Amino acid sequence: MLRIYQRLWQVNWAEQWQYRANLVMYLLYWLVSPVVYLSVWTTVARDQGSVGGLTANDFVTYYLVLLLVDTLTSDITIHLLAYKIQDGTLAGDLLKPVHPILTGVLVNNLAFKALTLGVLVPIWLGLCLLFRPDFSGVSVQSLLLGLPAIVLGFGISFLLGATITLIAFWTTRVYSLNEFYYALIVLFSGQFVPLELMPRFVQQLAQVLPFQHMKYAPVQLILGRLSPEQVAGNFLLGGLWFGLALALFLWVWRKGVRRFSAVGA
Amino acid sequence: MYRFKLLVALLKINVQQELAYRADTAINIVLSLMWLGWELLSLSIIFDNTATLGGWGPGELLVLLGVWRLVNTLMAAIIWPNTERFNTSIRDGSLDYTLLMPVNSLLLVSLTRIVIWRAWDTLLAAALIISGISLSGAVVSPLNLLSFLALALGGALVLYSLWIVLIACTFWFVKFDNNVTILQALMEAGRYPATVYPVWLRMLITFVVPVAVATTVPVQALRGELSGWQVLLFLGVALASLLVALAVWRAGIRRYSGASS
Repeated sequence: MLRIYQRLWQVNWAEQWQYRANLVMYLLYWLVSPVVYLSVWTTVARDQGSVGGLTANDFVTYYLVLLLVDTLTSDITIHLLAYKIQDGTLAGDLLKPVHPILTGVLVNNLAFKALTLGVLVPIWLGLCLLFRPDFSGVSVQSLLLGLPAIVLGFGISFLLGATITLIAFWTTRVYSLNEFYYALIVLFSGQFVPLELMPRFVQQLAQVLPFQHMKYAPVQLILGRLSPEQVAGNFLLGGLWFGLALALFLWVWRKGVRRFSAVGA
Repeated sequence: MYRFKLLVALLKINVQQELAYRADTAINIVLSLMWLGWELLSLSIIFDNTATLGGWGPGELLVLLGVWRLVNTLMAAIIWPNTERFNTSIRDGSLDYTLLMPVNSLLLVSLTRIVIWRAWDTLLAAALIISGISLSGAVVSPLNLLSFLALALGGALVLYSLWIVLIACTFWFVKFDNNVTILQALMEAGRYPATVYPVWLRMLITFVVPVAVATTVPVQALRGELSGWQVLLFLGVALASLLVALAVWRAGIRRYSGASS
Protein backbone atom coordinates (compact mmCIF):
# COMPACT_ATOMS: atom_id res chain seq x y z
CA MET A 1 0.00 0.00 0.00
CA LEU A 2 2.81 2.37 0.89
CA ARG A 3 4.43 1.68 -2.47
CA ILE A 4 1.20 2.63 -4.22
CA TYR A 5 1.17 5.99 -2.45
CA GLN A 6 4.85 6.50 -3.21
CA ARG A 7 4.27 5.94 -6.93
CA LEU A 8 1.13 8.09 -6.91
CA TRP A 9 3.11 10.87 -5.31
CA GLN A 10 5.69 10.75 -8.11
CA VAL A 11 3.02 10.87 -10.80
CA ASN A 12 0.97 13.63 -9.20
CA TRP A 13 3.98 15.71 -8.27
CA ALA A 14 5.15 15.58 -11.88
CA GLU A 15 1.66 16.52 -13.03
CA GLN A 16 1.49 19.54 -10.75
CA TRP A 17 5.08 20.52 -11.54
CA GLN A 18 4.06 20.92 -15.19
CA TYR A 19 1.72 23.73 -14.19
CA ARG A 20 4.08 25.56 -11.86
CA ALA A 21 3.79 28.84 -13.80
CA ASN A 22 -0.01 28.76 -13.51
CA LEU A 23 0.39 28.06 -9.84
CA VAL A 24 2.21 31.30 -9.18
CA MET A 25 -0.74 33.14 -10.66
CA TYR A 26 -3.29 31.17 -8.64
CA LEU A 27 -1.38 32.04 -5.49
CA LEU A 28 -2.51 35.62 -6.01
CA TYR A 29 -6.08 34.57 -5.18
CA TRP A 30 -4.91 33.16 -1.88
CA LEU A 31 -2.88 36.23 -1.11
CA VAL A 32 -5.18 39.10 -1.91
CA SER A 33 -8.12 38.54 0.43
CA PRO A 34 -6.15 37.97 3.68
CA VAL A 35 -4.06 41.06 2.91
CA VAL A 36 -7.22 43.09 2.22
CA TYR A 37 -8.91 42.02 5.47
CA LEU A 38 -5.66 42.51 7.36
CA SER A 39 -5.48 46.09 6.12
CA VAL A 40 -9.12 46.83 6.88
CA TRP A 41 -8.93 45.57 10.45
CA THR A 42 -5.52 47.02 11.31
CA THR A 43 -6.81 50.40 10.09
CA VAL A 44 -9.80 50.11 12.43
CA ALA A 45 -7.65 48.90 15.32
CA ARG A 46 -5.14 51.72 14.89
CA ASP A 47 -7.89 54.34 14.75
CA GLN A 48 -9.30 53.40 18.13
CA GLY A 49 -6.50 51.49 19.88
CA SER A 50 -8.19 48.08 19.72
CA VAL A 51 -11.24 46.27 18.38
CA GLY A 52 -13.07 44.06 20.87
CA GLY A 53 -9.78 43.63 22.75
CA LEU A 54 -7.73 42.87 19.63
CA THR A 55 -4.80 45.13 18.80
CA ALA A 56 -3.44 45.91 15.34
CA ASN A 57 -0.70 43.34 15.92
CA ASP A 58 -3.28 40.69 16.84
CA PHE A 59 -4.88 41.17 13.44
CA VAL A 60 -1.55 41.13 11.59
CA THR A 61 -0.49 37.85 13.21
CA TYR A 62 -3.97 36.35 12.76
CA TYR A 63 -4.11 36.92 9.01
CA LEU A 64 -0.47 36.01 8.38
CA VAL A 65 -0.88 32.66 10.12
CA LEU A 66 -4.27 32.24 8.43
CA LEU A 67 -2.56 32.59 5.05
CA LEU A 68 -0.39 29.52 5.74
CA VAL A 69 -3.10 27.50 7.50
CA ASP A 70 -5.56 28.25 4.69
CA THR A 71 -3.15 26.86 2.11
CA LEU A 72 -2.50 23.78 4.22
CA THR A 73 -6.11 22.91 5.01
CA SER A 74 -7.87 23.95 1.79
CA ASP A 75 -9.06 21.31 -0.61
CA ILE A 76 -9.17 21.33 -4.42
CA THR A 77 -11.08 18.07 -4.95
CA ILE A 78 -13.88 19.70 -6.92
CA HIS A 79 -11.38 20.78 -9.59
CA LEU A 80 -9.84 17.31 -9.77
CA LEU A 81 -12.96 15.18 -9.67
CA ALA A 82 -16.11 17.01 -10.78
CA TYR A 83 -15.27 16.96 -14.49
CA LYS A 84 -14.38 13.26 -14.31
CA ILE A 85 -17.85 12.42 -13.02
CA GLN A 86 -19.39 14.78 -15.57
CA ASP A 87 -17.68 13.40 -18.66
CA GLY A 88 -17.46 9.78 -17.46
CA THR A 89 -13.65 9.45 -17.34
CA LEU A 90 -13.98 8.33 -13.73
CA ALA A 91 -14.82 4.91 -15.19
CA GLY A 92 -11.12 4.32 -15.87
CA ASP A 93 -10.18 5.09 -12.26
CA LEU A 94 -12.86 2.75 -10.97
CA LEU A 95 -11.14 -0.19 -12.65
CA LYS A 96 -8.08 0.22 -10.45
CA PRO A 97 -7.99 -1.91 -7.30
CA VAL A 98 -7.70 1.10 -4.97
CA HIS A 99 -10.20 3.74 -3.82
CA PRO A 100 -9.80 6.49 -6.46
CA ILE A 101 -10.61 9.36 -4.09
CA LEU A 102 -8.58 8.25 -1.10
CA THR A 103 -5.53 7.62 -3.31
CA GLY A 104 -5.16 9.63 -6.53
CA VAL A 105 -7.27 12.65 -5.64
CA LEU A 106 -5.86 12.86 -2.12
CA VAL A 107 -2.25 12.63 -3.29
CA ASN A 108 -2.83 15.19 -6.01
CA ASN A 109 -4.22 17.53 -3.37
CA LEU A 110 -1.08 17.05 -1.31
CA ALA A 111 1.25 17.56 -4.27
CA PHE A 112 -0.56 20.79 -5.08
CA LYS A 113 -0.10 21.90 -1.48
CA ALA A 114 3.60 21.09 -1.42
CA LEU A 115 4.23 23.02 -4.59
CA THR A 116 2.10 25.97 -3.49
CA LEU A 117 3.94 26.17 -0.20
CA GLY A 118 7.27 26.24 -1.99
CA VAL A 119 6.25 29.51 -3.62
CA LEU A 120 4.13 30.85 -0.79
CA VAL A 121 6.74 30.66 1.96
CA PRO A 122 9.17 33.17 0.38
CA ILE A 123 6.25 35.53 -0.35
CA TRP A 124 5.03 35.06 3.20
CA LEU A 125 8.44 36.00 4.58
CA GLY A 126 8.30 39.11 2.39
CA LEU A 127 4.90 40.02 3.85
CA CYS A 128 6.34 39.55 7.34
CA LEU A 129 9.01 42.10 6.48
CA LEU A 130 6.33 44.52 5.29
CA PHE A 131 3.91 44.12 8.20
CA ARG A 132 6.44 43.44 11.01
CA PRO A 133 4.31 41.08 13.11
CA ASP A 134 5.16 40.35 16.73
CA PHE A 135 4.78 36.58 17.08
CA SER A 136 5.50 36.48 20.82
CA GLY A 137 2.36 34.40 21.49
CA VAL A 138 3.70 31.52 19.40
CA SER A 139 5.63 28.85 21.28
CA VAL A 140 7.27 25.55 20.36
CA GLN A 141 4.41 23.83 22.12
CA SER A 142 1.71 25.70 20.21
CA LEU A 143 3.47 24.95 16.93
CA LEU A 144 3.71 21.25 17.80
CA LEU A 145 0.01 21.17 18.72
CA GLY A 146 -0.82 23.18 15.60
CA LEU A 147 0.48 20.44 13.36
CA PRO A 148 -2.15 17.79 14.26
CA ALA A 149 -4.81 20.54 14.27
CA ILE A 150 -3.90 21.41 10.68
CA VAL A 151 -3.91 17.74 9.64
CA LEU A 152 -7.32 17.35 11.25
CA GLY A 153 -8.55 20.51 9.53
CA PHE A 154 -7.36 19.30 6.16
CA GLY A 155 -8.96 15.91 6.78
CA ILE A 156 -12.35 17.49 7.46
CA SER A 157 -12.14 19.92 4.56
CA PHE A 158 -10.99 17.18 2.17
CA LEU A 159 -13.73 14.75 3.15
CA LEU A 160 -16.50 17.37 3.08
CA GLY A 161 -15.23 18.85 -0.20
CA ALA A 162 -15.10 15.38 -1.73
CA THR A 163 -18.62 14.59 -0.49
CA ILE A 164 -19.96 17.78 -2.07
CA THR A 165 -18.23 16.85 -5.33
CA LEU A 166 -19.75 13.37 -5.23
CA ILE A 167 -23.23 14.90 -5.37
CA ALA A 168 -22.37 15.16 -9.07
CA PHE A 169 -23.31 11.45 -9.31
CA TRP A 170 -26.92 12.62 -8.99
CA THR A 171 -26.86 16.14 -10.42
CA THR A 172 -23.97 15.97 -12.96
CA ARG A 173 -23.06 19.61 -12.24
CA VAL A 174 -22.04 20.65 -8.72
CA TYR A 175 -20.41 24.04 -9.14
CA SER A 176 -23.37 26.02 -7.80
CA LEU A 177 -23.68 23.74 -4.80
CA ASN A 178 -19.96 24.13 -4.22
CA GLU A 179 -20.28 27.90 -4.28
CA PHE A 180 -22.92 27.66 -1.57
CA TYR A 181 -20.64 25.39 0.47
CA TYR A 182 -17.79 27.86 -0.03
CA ALA A 183 -19.98 30.68 1.29
CA LEU A 184 -20.53 28.66 4.47
CA ILE A 185 -16.77 28.33 4.85
CA VAL A 186 -16.29 32.08 4.39
CA LEU A 187 -18.94 32.81 6.99
CA PHE A 188 -18.11 30.25 9.68
CA SER A 189 -14.39 29.49 9.38
CA GLY A 190 -13.00 32.81 10.55
CA GLN A 191 -11.63 33.69 7.13
CA PHE A 192 -13.11 37.19 7.08
CA VAL A 193 -12.56 38.14 10.68
CA PRO A 194 -11.54 36.36 13.92
CA LEU A 195 -14.79 34.68 14.97
CA GLU A 196 -15.00 36.52 18.31
CA LEU A 197 -15.88 39.70 16.37
CA MET A 198 -18.81 38.03 14.59
CA PRO A 199 -22.40 38.56 15.80
CA ARG A 200 -23.15 36.26 18.72
CA PHE A 201 -25.47 33.87 16.86
CA VAL A 202 -22.84 33.36 14.15
CA GLN A 203 -20.25 32.59 16.83
CA GLN A 204 -22.52 30.07 18.50
CA LEU A 205 -23.26 28.35 15.20
CA ALA A 206 -19.58 28.41 14.22
CA GLN A 207 -18.70 26.69 17.47
CA VAL A 208 -20.72 23.58 16.57
CA LEU A 209 -20.19 23.60 12.78
CA PRO A 210 -17.15 21.88 11.26
CA PHE A 211 -15.78 24.94 9.44
CA GLN A 212 -13.87 26.55 12.33
CA HIS A 213 -11.57 23.52 12.48
CA MET A 214 -10.34 24.33 8.97
CA LYS A 215 -9.03 27.79 9.85
CA TYR A 216 -9.99 29.54 13.05
CA ALA A 217 -9.17 26.78 15.54
CA PRO A 218 -5.66 25.95 14.21
CA VAL A 219 -4.75 29.65 13.82
CA GLN A 220 -5.81 30.52 17.37
CA LEU A 221 -4.02 27.44 18.67
CA ILE A 222 -0.75 28.35 16.94
CA LEU A 223 -0.99 31.94 18.17
CA GLY A 224 -1.34 30.64 21.75
CA ARG A 225 -4.70 32.35 22.29
CA LEU A 226 -6.57 29.29 23.59
CA SER A 227 -6.70 27.83 27.07
CA PRO A 228 -5.74 24.15 27.45
CA GLU A 229 -9.43 23.29 27.96
CA GLN A 230 -10.39 25.04 24.73
CA VAL A 231 -7.61 23.21 22.86
CA ALA A 232 -8.79 19.87 24.19
CA GLY A 233 -12.42 20.76 23.37
CA ASN A 234 -11.49 21.74 19.81
CA PHE A 235 -9.57 18.50 19.24
CA LEU A 236 -12.50 16.51 20.58
CA LEU A 237 -15.08 18.33 18.44
CA GLY A 238 -12.77 18.26 15.42
CA GLY A 239 -12.21 14.53 15.84
CA LEU A 240 -15.95 14.02 16.05
CA TRP A 241 -16.50 15.98 12.86
CA PHE A 242 -13.71 14.07 11.14
CA GLY A 243 -15.42 10.79 12.01
CA LEU A 244 -18.79 12.10 10.84
CA ALA A 245 -17.33 13.46 7.61
CA LEU A 246 -15.58 10.17 6.90
CA ALA A 247 -18.76 8.18 7.48
CA LEU A 248 -20.77 10.58 5.33
CA PHE A 249 -18.19 10.47 2.56
CA LEU A 250 -18.03 6.66 2.49
CA TRP A 251 -21.83 6.38 2.51
CA VAL A 252 -22.32 8.91 -0.31
CA TRP A 253 -19.54 7.25 -2.28
CA ARG A 254 -21.13 3.80 -1.96
CA LYS A 255 -24.57 5.06 -3.00
CA GLY A 256 -23.20 7.30 -5.74
CA VAL A 257 -20.91 4.89 -7.45
CA ARG A 258 -23.85 2.53 -8.00
CA ARG A 259 -25.72 5.28 -9.79
CA PHE A 260 -22.73 6.19 -11.93
CA SER A 261 -23.48 5.41 -15.56
CA ALA A 262 -20.20 6.69 -17.07
CA VAL A 263 -21.68 9.25 -19.45
CA GLY A 264 -19.96 9.15 -22.80
CA ALA A 265 -17.76 6.18 -21.98
CA MET B 1 -25.63 51.14 -38.20
CA TYR B 2 -24.45 47.60 -38.99
CA ARG B 3 -22.64 47.57 -35.66
CA PHE B 4 -25.89 48.20 -33.88
CA LYS B 5 -27.53 45.37 -35.81
CA LEU B 6 -24.60 43.12 -34.95
CA LEU B 7 -24.95 43.93 -31.27
CA VAL B 8 -28.65 43.12 -31.35
CA ALA B 9 -27.87 39.81 -33.06
CA LEU B 10 -25.22 38.96 -30.45
CA LEU B 11 -27.63 39.78 -27.64
CA LYS B 12 -30.29 37.57 -29.21
CA ILE B 13 -27.95 34.60 -29.46
CA ASN B 14 -26.89 35.03 -25.85
CA VAL B 15 -30.47 35.26 -24.60
CA GLN B 16 -31.24 32.03 -26.43
CA GLN B 17 -28.20 30.33 -24.89
CA GLU B 18 -29.26 31.50 -21.47
CA LEU B 19 -32.80 30.22 -21.90
CA ALA B 20 -31.43 26.76 -22.56
CA TYR B 21 -30.18 26.66 -18.96
CA ARG B 22 -33.06 28.25 -17.05
CA ALA B 23 -32.48 26.36 -13.79
CA ASP B 24 -28.84 27.38 -13.83
CA THR B 25 -29.85 31.02 -14.25
CA ALA B 26 -32.26 30.83 -11.32
CA ILE B 27 -29.60 29.29 -9.09
CA ASN B 28 -27.10 31.93 -10.14
CA ILE B 29 -29.48 34.71 -9.16
CA VAL B 30 -30.01 33.10 -5.76
CA LEU B 31 -26.24 32.80 -5.32
CA SER B 32 -25.73 36.45 -6.25
CA LEU B 33 -28.31 37.45 -3.62
CA MET B 34 -26.53 35.25 -1.11
CA TRP B 35 -23.21 37.00 -1.75
CA LEU B 36 -24.92 40.36 -1.45
CA GLY B 37 -26.24 39.27 1.95
CA TRP B 38 -22.75 38.26 2.97
CA GLU B 39 -21.28 41.57 1.79
CA LEU B 40 -23.87 43.53 3.76
CA LEU B 41 -23.23 41.37 6.82
CA SER B 42 -19.49 41.93 6.56
CA LEU B 43 -20.03 45.70 6.36
CA SER B 44 -22.30 45.57 9.39
CA ILE B 45 -19.65 43.58 11.31
CA ILE B 46 -17.08 46.24 10.47
CA PHE B 47 -19.32 49.10 11.55
CA ASP B 48 -20.38 47.29 14.71
CA ASN B 49 -16.79 47.72 15.76
CA THR B 50 -16.01 51.18 14.43
CA ALA B 51 -17.75 54.38 13.34
CA THR B 52 -15.59 55.05 10.27
CA LEU B 53 -13.19 53.04 8.16
CA GLY B 54 -10.27 55.20 7.06
CA GLY B 55 -12.56 58.23 7.32
CA TRP B 56 -15.43 56.63 5.38
CA GLY B 57 -18.84 56.03 6.94
CA PRO B 58 -21.24 53.12 6.32
CA GLY B 59 -23.18 54.98 3.62
CA GLU B 60 -20.03 55.70 1.68
CA LEU B 61 -18.88 52.10 1.90
CA LEU B 62 -22.29 51.03 0.63
CA VAL B 63 -21.83 53.29 -2.40
CA LEU B 64 -18.33 51.85 -2.88
CA LEU B 65 -19.75 48.33 -2.71
CA GLY B 66 -22.30 49.30 -5.35
CA VAL B 67 -19.62 50.69 -7.66
CA TRP B 68 -17.45 47.63 -7.05
CA ARG B 69 -20.37 45.36 -7.90
CA LEU B 70 -21.02 47.35 -11.05
CA VAL B 71 -17.43 46.89 -12.21
CA ASN B 72 -17.45 43.27 -11.11
CA THR B 73 -20.67 42.64 -13.04
CA LEU B 74 -19.15 44.12 -16.16
CA MET B 75 -16.24 41.71 -15.74
CA ALA B 76 -18.39 38.67 -15.01
CA ALA B 77 -20.94 39.40 -17.72
CA ILE B 78 -18.60 40.27 -20.55
CA ILE B 79 -14.88 40.25 -19.82
CA TRP B 80 -14.28 36.82 -18.23
CA PRO B 81 -16.47 34.74 -20.57
CA ASN B 82 -14.97 36.39 -23.63
CA THR B 83 -11.46 35.87 -22.27
CA GLU B 84 -12.15 32.17 -22.04
CA ARG B 85 -13.43 32.15 -25.60
CA PHE B 86 -10.48 34.17 -26.82
CA ASN B 87 -7.88 31.95 -25.17
CA THR B 88 -9.48 28.85 -26.68
CA SER B 89 -9.60 30.51 -30.09
CA ILE B 90 -5.87 31.29 -29.92
CA ARG B 91 -5.04 27.72 -28.95
CA ASP B 92 -7.14 25.99 -31.60
CA GLY B 93 -6.73 28.64 -34.28
CA SER B 94 -10.41 29.55 -34.57
CA LEU B 95 -9.44 33.18 -34.11
CA ASP B 96 -8.71 33.05 -37.86
CA TYR B 97 -12.44 33.06 -38.58
CA THR B 98 -13.05 36.00 -36.28
CA LEU B 99 -10.34 37.99 -38.03
CA LEU B 100 -11.75 37.13 -41.45
CA MET B 101 -15.09 38.73 -40.67
CA PRO B 102 -15.63 42.22 -42.06
CA VAL B 103 -16.17 43.69 -38.58
CA ASN B 104 -13.80 45.26 -36.10
CA SER B 105 -12.02 42.25 -34.55
CA LEU B 106 -11.87 43.78 -31.08
CA LEU B 107 -15.64 44.29 -31.07
CA LEU B 108 -16.21 40.61 -31.81
CA VAL B 109 -13.57 39.43 -29.37
CA SER B 110 -15.01 41.56 -26.55
CA LEU B 111 -18.72 41.09 -27.06
CA THR B 112 -19.46 37.68 -28.58
CA ARG B 113 -20.37 36.14 -25.26
CA ILE B 114 -22.60 38.11 -22.89
CA VAL B 115 -23.98 36.60 -19.70
CA ILE B 116 -27.42 38.19 -19.80
CA TRP B 117 -28.72 37.37 -16.31
CA ARG B 118 -25.99 39.58 -14.85
CA ALA B 119 -28.10 42.57 -15.89
CA TRP B 120 -29.93 41.81 -12.65
CA ASP B 121 -26.71 42.50 -10.75
CA THR B 122 -26.44 45.99 -12.19
CA LEU B 123 -29.91 46.74 -10.76
CA LEU B 124 -28.74 45.57 -7.33
CA ALA B 125 -25.63 47.70 -7.66
CA ALA B 126 -27.66 50.78 -8.57
CA ALA B 127 -29.92 50.17 -5.56
CA LEU B 128 -26.82 49.93 -3.33
CA ILE B 129 -25.42 53.20 -4.67
CA ILE B 130 -28.69 55.09 -4.21
CA SER B 131 -29.38 53.75 -0.71
CA GLY B 132 -25.75 54.39 0.23
CA ILE B 133 -26.01 58.03 -0.78
CA SER B 134 -29.21 58.50 1.16
CA LEU B 135 -27.77 56.70 4.20
CA SER B 136 -24.68 58.90 4.26
CA GLY B 137 -27.02 61.89 4.41
CA ALA B 138 -24.64 63.99 2.35
CA VAL B 139 -26.05 66.48 -0.14
CA VAL B 140 -24.57 65.58 -3.51
CA SER B 141 -24.12 68.47 -5.91
CA PRO B 142 -25.00 67.81 -9.57
CA LEU B 143 -21.39 68.45 -10.53
CA ASN B 144 -20.10 65.82 -8.10
CA LEU B 145 -22.68 63.36 -9.36
CA LEU B 146 -21.63 64.05 -12.93
CA SER B 147 -17.94 63.55 -12.17
CA PHE B 148 -18.82 60.38 -10.25
CA LEU B 149 -20.58 58.93 -13.30
CA ALA B 150 -17.85 60.09 -15.68
CA LEU B 151 -15.08 58.66 -13.50
CA ALA B 152 -16.89 55.35 -13.02
CA LEU B 153 -17.13 55.06 -16.79
CA GLY B 154 -13.50 56.19 -17.15
CA GLY B 155 -12.37 53.62 -14.58
CA ALA B 156 -14.18 50.87 -16.44
CA LEU B 157 -12.43 52.02 -19.62
CA VAL B 158 -9.03 51.82 -17.90
CA LEU B 159 -9.73 48.24 -16.78
CA TYR B 160 -11.01 47.34 -20.25
CA SER B 161 -7.82 48.76 -21.77
CA LEU B 162 -5.69 46.74 -19.38
CA TRP B 163 -7.66 43.67 -20.38
CA ILE B 164 -7.03 44.32 -24.07
CA VAL B 165 -3.30 44.61 -23.43
CA LEU B 166 -3.28 41.44 -21.29
CA ILE B 167 -5.06 39.28 -23.84
CA ALA B 168 -3.04 40.82 -26.69
CA CYS B 169 0.08 39.55 -24.89
CA THR B 170 -1.10 36.09 -25.94
CA PHE B 171 -0.09 36.98 -29.51
CA TRP B 172 3.52 37.18 -28.35
CA PHE B 173 3.55 34.43 -25.69
CA VAL B 174 1.20 31.74 -26.94
CA LYS B 175 1.20 29.71 -23.72
CA PHE B 176 -0.26 32.45 -21.58
CA ASP B 177 -3.74 31.27 -20.73
CA ASN B 178 -3.92 32.76 -17.28
CA ASN B 179 -3.34 36.16 -18.78
CA VAL B 180 -6.13 37.77 -16.75
CA THR B 181 -5.61 36.06 -13.38
CA ILE B 182 -3.80 39.08 -11.95
CA LEU B 183 -6.76 41.29 -12.81
CA GLN B 184 -9.25 38.79 -11.36
CA ALA B 185 -7.30 38.30 -8.16
CA LEU B 186 -6.84 42.00 -7.45
CA MET B 187 -10.51 42.84 -8.07
CA GLU B 188 -11.12 41.79 -4.47
CA ALA B 189 -9.07 44.76 -3.26
CA GLY B 190 -11.62 47.17 -4.77
CA ARG B 191 -14.28 46.42 -2.14
CA TYR B 192 -12.71 48.74 0.41
CA PRO B 193 -11.38 52.30 0.10
CA ALA B 194 -7.82 52.21 -1.25
CA THR B 195 -6.79 54.57 1.55
CA VAL B 196 -6.86 51.72 4.12
CA TYR B 197 -4.19 49.72 2.32
CA PRO B 198 -0.44 49.88 2.93
CA VAL B 199 1.40 52.08 0.42
CA TRP B 200 2.72 49.25 -1.74
CA LEU B 201 -0.74 47.73 -2.22
CA ARG B 202 -2.25 51.14 -2.91
CA MET B 203 0.40 51.75 -5.58
CA LEU B 204 -0.28 48.32 -7.06
CA ILE B 205 -4.04 48.80 -7.39
CA THR B 206 -3.71 52.39 -8.60
CA PHE B 207 -0.92 52.21 -11.15
CA VAL B 208 -0.27 48.57 -12.09
CA VAL B 209 -3.72 46.98 -11.94
CA PRO B 210 -5.87 50.10 -11.54
CA VAL B 211 -8.84 48.54 -9.73
CA ALA B 212 -8.89 51.51 -7.36
CA VAL B 213 -9.26 53.94 -10.27
CA ALA B 214 -12.57 52.29 -11.11
CA THR B 215 -13.86 51.99 -7.53
CA THR B 216 -12.32 54.29 -4.92
CA VAL B 217 -11.71 57.25 -7.22
CA PRO B 218 -15.32 57.71 -8.45
CA VAL B 219 -16.62 57.57 -4.89
CA GLN B 220 -14.02 60.16 -3.87
CA ALA B 221 -15.43 62.41 -6.59
CA LEU B 222 -18.93 61.83 -5.23
CA ARG B 223 -17.68 62.90 -1.79
CA GLY B 224 -16.31 66.06 -3.39
CA GLU B 225 -12.72 65.20 -2.54
CA LEU B 226 -11.37 65.67 -6.05
CA SER B 227 -10.71 69.00 -7.73
CA GLY B 228 -11.89 69.68 -11.27
CA TRP B 229 -8.34 69.26 -12.54
CA GLN B 230 -7.99 65.86 -10.93
CA VAL B 231 -11.22 64.68 -12.51
CA LEU B 232 -10.03 65.84 -15.92
CA LEU B 233 -6.65 64.20 -15.34
CA PHE B 234 -8.26 60.83 -14.58
CA LEU B 235 -10.50 61.09 -17.63
CA GLY B 236 -7.47 61.97 -19.76
CA VAL B 237 -5.62 58.95 -18.44
CA ALA B 238 -8.62 56.75 -19.26
CA LEU B 239 -8.71 58.00 -22.84
CA ALA B 240 -4.94 57.67 -23.24
CA SER B 241 -4.94 54.10 -21.90
CA LEU B 242 -7.66 53.14 -24.36
CA LEU B 243 -5.62 54.57 -27.26
CA VAL B 244 -2.50 52.71 -26.13
CA ALA B 245 -4.49 49.49 -25.76
CA LEU B 246 -5.94 49.82 -29.27
CA ALA B 247 -2.42 50.31 -30.67
CA VAL B 248 -1.18 47.21 -28.82
CA TRP B 249 -4.12 45.22 -30.12
CA ARG B 250 -3.42 46.23 -33.74
CA ALA B 251 0.27 45.35 -33.34
CA GLY B 252 -0.73 41.99 -31.86
CA ILE B 253 -3.12 41.19 -34.70
CA ARG B 254 -0.34 41.89 -37.21
CA ARG B 255 1.90 39.52 -35.31
CA TYR B 256 -0.71 36.70 -35.11
CA SER B 257 0.09 33.81 -37.41
CA GLY B 258 -2.69 31.35 -36.57
CA ALA B 259 -2.43 28.02 -34.80
CA SER B 260 -3.91 26.00 -37.63
CA SER B 261 -1.81 27.26 -40.52
